Amino acid sequence: MQYFKLPAGVRDVLPDECERFDAAERVLRERFRGAGFLPVRPAGLEYYDTYADAGVEEAQMFKMCDRDGRLIVLRPDMTLACARIAATKLHGEGARLCYFSAVYDFTASGNCDREVPQAGVEVFGEQGARSDAEIIAFAVGCLRALGLRDFIVDIGHVGFYKGLLEGSGLSVEGAEEVRARINAKDAVGCELALRRHGAGERAQAAILALPSLFGGAEVLGRAKTLTDNPQALASLAHLEEVYAHLCDLGVGGHVSFDLGTVKSLAYYTGIVFTGLADGVGAPVLSGGRYDGLCARFGRDLAAVGFAVGMDRALSAARAKEGTC
Amino acid sequence: MLNVALAKGRLAERCADIFIRCGIRAEVLREETRKLVLETPDGKFRFFFVKPADVPTYVEYGIADIGIVGKDTLLEAGADLYEMLDLGFERCKLCIAGFAGRAPSRPLRVATKYTETAKRLFASRGEDAEIIKLNGSIELAPLTGLADVIFDIVQSGGTLRANGLSVLEEVFDISARLIANKVSLKTKAAEILPLIAAMKQYIEE
Repeated sequence: MQYFKLPAGVRDVLPDECERFDAAERVLRERFRGAGFLPVRPAGLEYYDTYADAGVEEAQMFKMCDRDGRLIVLRPDMTLACARIAATKLHGEGARLCYFSAVYDFTASGNCDREVPQAGVEVFGEQGARSDAEIIAFAVGCLRALGLRDFIVDIGHVGFYKGLLEGSGLSVEGAEEVRARINAKDAVGCELALRRHGAGERAQAAILALPSLFGGAEVLGRAKTLTDNPQALASLAHLEEVYAHLCDLGVGGHVSFDLGTVKSLAYYTGIVFTGLADGVGAPVLSGGRYDGLCARFGRDLAAVGFAVGMDRALSAARAKEGTC
Repeated sequence: MLNVALAKGRLAERCADIFIRCGIRAEVLREETRKLVLETPDGKFRFFFVKPADVPTYVEYGIADIGIVGKDTLLEAGADLYEMLDLGFERCKLCIAGFAGRAPSRPLRVATKYTETAKRLFASRGEDAEIIKLNGSIELAPLTGLADVIFDIVQSGGTLRANGLSVLEEVFDISARLIANKVSLKTKAAEILPLIAAMKQYIEE
């Protein structure tokens, strides 16, 4: 055995980098505490079903067999773990939780690691546009505190796409294929998939516009003309309200919109957002609203949150230092 | 400055034409040079020359903000990026080809450069297939008995005919695509979007 070897997709963090890492964690801990978030350390091993039933891909999980023969996984997602805790172990009307933990992604390769250290917050028991805007403004503040300057938070709403799908006549598989093509902004592939799966004409036209529905707040106005589906229109009205609050909170300049962001994680129910920074080719932050998830664990709590990918956030901050 | 990854060779020449017509000072792309990085004189664009299969990689990592590459390469790479535009040139088809009328063995043996795409294709049809990775002269495989069929791009079909093979099924339409990094499209929107609009107009003309 060559003992210097590590499995693919993981690494050791050595003292130099670890100090930077710890300093960044301290900055965020302070911010989280200031905003009333209480820390949790969810278990690292969980039952496979907890995650599979909530829509985490089978291939994405590190799986093992427990002593009693049940399938267990290395925690693949922090939001689900926090929702499980809030719904089953805390008994208040709401909760504000934060964590500093790694998640594990079995399939990750290339630009993504298999062990991903995250810092995140989850708000339980609050809903509405104001709550959404506050969490996004808080995310902007966190990225700033980490030393990032040239970044935006890109906002979408899963209700818009879901609304367009209603009455489109697409099957579950059809919708999934179309979703993947929209996520890649692949208009050609999207059109072919819509035709092959036999979507209705009006729905086709609206869904085909999705890949180009991104940019400033004017996108919301453009989207309104495409559909008369009540759920889709309600989602747009909600986003406009969120944007007004964000302008109030002084972070209107840090946000953009993308209605074609259709995340694969099935538990999101409302706004979804990603933090995008110059100098790293992948999101530094990701989050959204997931109102139905706690009900799955036995208590119906509204919920919204986000996680910062610490490795990427630090390399974005570092890229910034390099250019100054 | 916008960083652009281009595939070396024929595709790069076509790209130079389009860029120049879209008002970019891309004359540098036409120079005989062994340099791998070229900049436009106004400092607005920097071009990287890479192997076709590496274009999605440079774009996924965000080293290049945009790139131009064939859809066949994109299917095979499965990279997480935006596919912004079908440029409509370098058209061909990804086909299954072999001897017409000959009964295949079971499991079907398929020779290809596109092993990932082939695996997904046959799995999605519930067909057992043994995928054999080759790096060139794919047509030789059925001739020598290494495979029953090949899965490869077909432009004119000349090589197939010359070797007594024919297209059994056209599976994917292939053409050159403009791709973009998922972060750059948003953080450099002011540079990328006008370029996409100009290229779109050029294609439609």
